[in-house]
Amino acid sequence: MSFNYGISSELTDLNYLEDVEGSVLFRIDGNVIDAIFNNNQSQDLLRTIQWSKSNVEKVSMEMKNNNLQKVTYELNDFYVLFFVVNRVTVLTTFANQNANLSLLSIEAKRKSQNISQFL
Amino acid sequence: MQISTGTTSHRSIYQATKNIIKDVVDDINGTPDFVLVAFTSNYRQKERYEQALSKICEESGTTNIIGGTFPGVATSDDLPTTQGCSLMAIKSNEISFEKPFNYSNIRINPKKGSEVIYDAYQKQKSKSKIGFFLTPGPLYQDNAFEQMKILDTIFAKKFKGMFNFIGKLIDKSMGKGGYGGTLFADKILHLLLNQGVENLIGGATIDLDMKACYQFIGDEIYRNALVGTIFSSDKFEFAQGWTFDKSQKSKKFDITGFLKSSGYIQNINEKSANKEFLNIIGISEELYEEAFGNFAYASLLYLSALKKPNKEYIPFVSVCHPILDGVVTTIPERYLNKNEIIADFFTQSGTGIQKSAYDCAQNISKNLENLKFGIFINCSNRLLIAGDKIEKENIKIKEALGEEVPFITLYSGGEFSLIENNPVYSSVSVHGFVAGEKKVPLKNVVF
Repeated sequence: MSFNYGISSELTDLNYLEDVEGSVLFRIDGNVIDAIFNNNQSQDLLRTIQWSKSNVEKVSMEMKNNNLQKVTYELNDFYVLFFVVNRVTVLTTFANQNANLSLLSIEAKRKSQNISQFL
Repeated sequence: MQISTGTTSHRSIYQATKNIIKDVVDDINGTPDFVLVAFTSNYRQKERYEQALSKICEESGTTNIIGGTFPGVATSDDLPTTQGCSLMAIKSNEISFEKPFNYSNIRINPKKGSEVIYDAYQKQKSKSKIGFFLTPGPLYQDNAFEQMKILDTIFAKKFKGMFNFIGKLIDKSMGKGGYGGTLFADKILHLLLNQGVENLIGGATIDLDMKACYQFIGDEIYRNALVGTIFSSDKFEFAQGWTFDKSQKSKKFDITGFLKSSGYIQNINEKSANKEFLNIIGISEELYEEAFGNFAYASLLYLSALKKPNKEYIPFVSVCHPILDGVVTTIPERYLNKNEIIADFFTQSGTGIQKSAYDCAQNISKNLENLKFGIFINCSNRLLIAGDKIEKENIKIKEALGEEVPFITLYSGGEFSLIENNPVYSSVSVHGFVAGEKKVPLKNVVF
């Protein structure tokens, strides 16, 4: 499969956006389906990713119960954007504090729709 | 008539171009007569856009292409993107497209630019015609505002006549460096109005950090150029309109000190404009910096709207930079006459902008049927206001025009229209036009 097509490609696209540090496609039980990160990962980013991994199930339940498409958290100086992809997967984007959340969420939504077509 | 539209998204401009050619250009059987191409501004380098345009020219077989860079782009059949390309290709015997025109020094010499548009407009003799043009948008380098400090001096407040002249020199000097606002577009509209041009629509290319934007014509890339064409037809009519979110009007204010040139407001309500501006919109200097520091301090959610007696409000953005005592606005020189204008602040909201998009589309399509296509110039501020709900605006436009009508939306840095001899230069607004057949009124006939 070409690297210009598929889930990895969509996640890489997100990482190319300004101020995005990484993106992970989680199954709602916390298992990682695919993940792409920038080369320089800080301790804070790793802690934030760890937090996401352990909380994705809880967040997904909350989103499902309240019919939410998107949830944003701010912790350790990072924004964490959860977008529903389908019933069992969630796209998580990590961005630094300089990120423009409005513009980022436009692209994250588009990517989550594209990814849903590959699953 | 064949019309194809589409939006693709990819981190690589090469791949985005490849996909858009496959999805849209190849969809046209033969060579398109006109191609409108809009890339997002995140690819940054001029060479990348050059390669992309050259590929589109090669694959489409036409150089009848205009376009530019915008922070977001969208089409009727796809979600908006901030990392990709939207394209509209048209092949039609019923609509003719004037060979694209350009003028590369538009910030310094708008008069010459208006002559270029006028020449092209005059050549078309069809029953219905409309000019379409794109210009460079607001571009502010880091030291741009320091040059304006002189407009805060006591002399600038006492000797306004002389400092209006100095303001013009500052504008011109910024224009030479390729940066500044888009006030030249207002001049173009008025020059063309005086020459008898009736219908025009346009928008400004922009990047939201206001540091780089490009305009395209064929496979050429420009930084400070006007590019455009004229659509004309004997069979179809072109209808156009504009509006903005008027739902949340806040406080009235008086512009009590100003310099006409550069749209520089020195005093609001007899107080220092910068402080009073923040006071009226009710946010602290720190919060304002956090919210709008990355956008050249342009107050994107709050806008001043001016009203002339018996006329509608026209919205403008204000730039409230911490090193200036005054406020830079996009208000054209001719509006700054305090005896005639009523000024109000409006706050933009997500649902308000969706409604305004619907109103605009419905208004322009009410007298037409069998709509063929539409072009919407939508302020890029609205991307920031709506975020991932931005596609709802396009859904509303679709609702108004009909599911099958293809359209392209360009998120611009200033919107301009000349609507049946009425010039409108505004910000945070949506301007649009559609092509279709004129509705024939049905009459009840009794046999």
